[in-house]
Amino acid sequence: MRSGDRLVVGIVRRGGPWPVVLAVTAVAGAAGELAIPYVIGRTVDLLVARQPGGGTWLLVCAGVVAGVMVCESLGVWARGASSAHAAATLRLGVLRHVLGAGHAATRRFPEGELVTRAGLNAEETGRAPETLMSALALLVPTVGALVALTLIAPLLTLTLGLGIVVILLALRAFLRASTVIAGGYQEVQGEIAARLVEAMDGARTIAAAGTAAQEARRVLAPLPRLRARGMELWRANATAAVRSGLVVPLLEVVVLIVGGFMLAAGDLTVGELYAAARYAVLGTALSTSLGHLGGLARARGAAARVAEVLALPSVPHGTRTLPAGPGTVEFRDVTANGLTVGDLTLPGGSVTAVVGRSGSGKSLLAALAGRLTDPERGTVLLDGVPLRELSRAELRRAVGYAFERPVLLGDTLAEAIGRAPATGPRDASSREPAVVPAGTAHSVVEAARAACADVFVRRLPLGYGTPLREAPMSGGERQRIGLARAFAQGERLLVLDDATSSLDTVTERQVSQALTADHLGRTRLIAAHRLATAARADQVVWLEDGKVRAHGPHDALWRDPAYRAVFQGAAP
Amino acid sequence: MRPPRPEPPDHTSPGHTPPPQAPARRAPWWRGRGVERREVGFWRALWREPGQVVRIMLWSVLEAAPAFLVGHAVARAIEDGFARAEPLVGMAWLAALGVTWTAAAVAARQVVLGVAAVAEPFRDDLLAHVVEGALRRDTRGDSAAVARAGLQVELARDAFAAVVTTVRGFVFTVVGVALGLLTLAPQAVVLVLPPFVAGLGLFLASLPALARRQRAFLLADESLAEAMTDMAGGLRDIEACGLQEGVAGRLRREVGEQAGAARALARVTAVRTAALAVGGWLPVVLLLAGAPWLLGGGAGPGVIVGALAYVTQSLAPALGGLVEGLGVSGVRLAVTLRRITTAVPAAGPPRDRARPPTADVRLDAVTFAYGPHSAPVVDRLDLTVPEGDHLAVVGPSGAGKSTLAALISGTLRPGSGQALVGGVPADRIDPAARVLIPQEAYVFRGTLLENLAYLRPAASPAELDAAVAAVGATDLVAELGGYGATLDPAALSAGQRQLIALVRAHLTTAPLIILDEATCHLDPAAEARAEEAFARRGGTLVVVAHRLTSALRARRILLMDGAQVTVGTHDELVRTSPLYADLAGHWHPEPVS
Repeated sequence: MRSGDRLVVGIVRRGGPWPVVLAVTAVAGAAGELAIPYVIGRTVDLLVARQPGGGTWLLVCAGVVAGVMVCESLGVWARGASSAHAAATLRLGVLRHVLGAGHAATRRFPEGELVTRAGLNAEETGRAPETLMSALALLVPTVGALVALTLIAPLLTLTLGLGIVVILLALRAFLRASTVIAGGYQEVQGEIAARLVEAMDGARTIAAAGTAAQEARRVLAPLPRLRARGMELWRANATAAVRSGLVVPLLEVVVLIVGGFMLAAGDLTVGELYAAARYAVLGTALSTSLGHLGGLARARGAAARVAEVLALPSVPHGTRTLPAGPGTVEFRDVTANGLTVGDLTLPGGSVTAVVGRSGSGKSLLAALAGRLTDPERGTVLLDGVPLRELSRAELRRAVGYAFERPVLLGDTLAEAIGRAPATGPRDASSREPAVVPAGTAHSVVEAARAACADVFVRRLPLGYGTPLREAPMSGGERQRIGLARAFAQGERLLVLDDATSSLDTVTERQVSQALTADHLGRTRLIAAHRLATAARADQVVWLEDGKVRAHGPHDALWRDPAYRAVFQGAAP
Repeated sequence: MRPPRPEPPDHTSPGHTPPPQAPARRAPWWRGRGVERREVGFWRALWREPGQVVRIMLWSVLEAAPAFLVGHAVARAIEDGFARAEPLVGMAWLAALGVTWTAAAVAARQVVLGVAAVAEPFRDDLLAHVVEGALRRDTRGDSAAVARAGLQVELARDAFAAVVTTVRGFVFTVVGVALGLLTLAPQAVVLVLPPFVAGLGLFLASLPALARRQRAFLLADESLAEAMTDMAGGLRDIEACGLQEGVAGRLRREVGEQAGAARALARVTAVRTAALAVGGWLPVVLLLAGAPWLLGGGAGPGVIVGALAYVTQSLAPALGGLVEGLGVSGVRLAVTLRRITTAVPAAGPPRDRARPPTADVRLDAVTFAYGPHSAPVVDRLDLTVPEGDHLAVVGPSGAGKSTLAALISGTLRPGSGQALVGGVPADRIDPAARVLIPQEAYVFRGTLLENLAYLRPAASPAELDAAVAAVGATDLVAELGGYGATLDPAALSAGQRQLIALVRAHLTTAPLIILDEATCHLDPAAEARAEEAFARRGGTLVVVAHRLTSALRARRILLMDGAQVTVGTHDELVRTSPLYADLAGHWHPEPVS
């Protein structure tokens, strides 16, 4: 059995009572729906003939109708509840798994793909039991109706079969035409969106020049074309609706006429004629129910895609804690992804700069130092303990990372810098908002100050309490928050991967001073392009073509013209 | 091309923008929120096209003809035809029904087109609303928000069409069936209508709850998608900061809320389905139960079947359509309309613009903060820039230089104090009287000429050539293929875009030019040439400097550092300000050897 199918079976098994309710209502409802025309026809006949069984059949009729009503309502409820339950369970599993797999997950799947699989595909997979039941619930009455119709008069079934073919052809023609037109429509839509995005990039110019109205006209210039395409789409839609919408009533008329002749000949009762007409209508739903089977194929496909995410390996963590130590980092015979580090030691409390042209492996070395990546060979140790053997919490408490483009997480800026408080929902109290909201750790403000972020944070509408989404930040400001986050987090080792590239020189110098004068004496590993960073470091690791070309003090390396060339053309 | 309607002048508001959260009038749930200046409501879209509405109505009559005829045709075909061994009469009745159905199908097509003719302008309105709103914001928007807004507009258009189609279809069908039943078997009306009305009432009663649940679900679903997107985009940082627990907690909460909303929605949907069953099936049972009574009243078996046909063929499907149309599309329309109207800030009232007599700039104790509780970016700043002066503004990033540029150009208003240009409040002056060129140069898809003459479309070719030559863009114009060349903004480098924006500013007749790091992507030589061109151009020039060399060219320098602001010449500042000395020492690219 494929892993996707196993996933679906697991969903059904863990679905509690809902899959059972779903199955029962679907089967009972389908049977009832199939019975109704016959029961009604029979009741009509008995009542018209004033025969004694009429009352009983009327009761049967009411019972079947009530049963179908209950089944439909319960079925809708069960469908919603079961798929919500299944999708939620599945989705949580997927999301936890992705979190466990960590950064490596994005190397295997692009971000958007992960969201689609955990979102839409989990939803579709969760709906698999429902889709199966719905297909059955539709298929049973349609097929049953065709059988019943055949029992009444085979000729009628033949007429119906022809009609269904006509419907399918009409729908196919429609789908083919509409994708072409829809493509054209979306193209114009995309054009308008592109013009708008472009104009929004010039928001300040437009605001200053007072040309918003003129810009709106320019952005909306393709609107007449959009409308023309839209009308084409509507026309195709309307034509197809006529074609397919006409077939069912005309079929019914034909069935009634043929049945009428049989009635006149005494081969059919009035009730049977009514039943035949209803069965004809029910039978035409065959194409719809076949469409539902297509939904099942989609659900299977979705399950397979979800299963692929669940197959990602998780990052295993040990249980050890760190002994007291200065934060010495040792690379022992380390190789990873085309980078050979060999043996390298970052003495506790020292500053090490990593230099080299882009693509020489600076980021990889930075990732290895704090176990964002595991080496293929060799070991990285922090104060004598292999990183692999540390527990996750211990590792992350010890190491702080800052990146060139940090992604900030949390609801507010304070949370983005310090860890989000582990308490439940934040209280939306009516207190006057303060620049530094109550509950913000002192270390957060300290870290922000060291990263030169405190001043601009205080100028934001709600200071440290400003929601991240409402805080407009430049690349440099974002980097400073990222730096503050690293300062607040890493107790022994700080890894800065090009984390000051967007700061102006003055700010960068201030940050560097804070970093150099780190009163906690943390070990620092700084990958950077700037000459000043290398000059201030205790040692420099010079990477070239995936190897450590040399390491040592900056002044010693500076004698090598090839080393000096690394900084040529680098941004100030 | 359809020009957007001009904003009606607002006579009620004084010269200040209304408070941002103007209390919205509680509107019925289907109308979206309140009454905006550019109203994009449901009814307005309908009433604006009265011709189309009449057309829809007329075709609807024909479309509903089978709903009226079906019972009669079936009853008469059986009673007068097949049951009396006169099959040809029966056939004639059914053939008439077939013809009516064909005519109704043609009418249905016309109805769809009529609805489309109302829905398309509705979509245009919404789109214009979104575009104008996005352009009114003076912060840079993100493309994802644009995409979301576009999607909302499409959803609203489809939902609008579905609501109009189904509600209209329902009304006409019910009228057709009622007339048919009344003429076929008046007694049957008593059996059919009460349960049908009961089902309809049950549905309508459940509608507000349904709308609430549906809205709650849509919101929970979006919020979940947002949380998942955040997680996927931040995996590296989550791992690096050990935030798995917190993020997992948030996701658990979001997933739980979305599932809860889905379950709640399923419960009300079940009630809705029950309403449909009551309204659609109960009349059938009652008709059967009342059959002996109807037969006793003189109706034949064909009449019973005809009445059944009314219910099963017309009434039940119409009710199903209404339930779908209002219960799903109607709710979606309400949600998306509300989303569209609230996401877009309302236009401020038009302001009287004045052309200042002179181009001197004066700031009197100007204070500006981005929030009522945040630290001010500019704090009680006094500054005088006489007409014809050349001022450079320097300071570390985040010192408030761009905010100052925005205050002088009037795109921001001081929280307290006054920013005056030629004695007129800066936000009141005619946009043509000053030019602000920001760091991110705006170039749009269009010809080079359109881009260059953006602020002065009537410029003569000679003036254009002169501006191009002065700023140093002659080579660029040639390289791009002349003034008539069509530009693809994405294909231009940041420096090229800045040159285009600089020519645009130089070409204007504005006596006050504010360059906010507008030359930062040019090389130092090109920057020098452009800035000298502006200095020669005359008028007042304020340059937010990216490099110290810009400051050296200025007559005076304004040094900003948080609350501390100093004005002086380069020599004065080097002597008196340690920060300036620091900047002067480190601003240049670091020496290589």
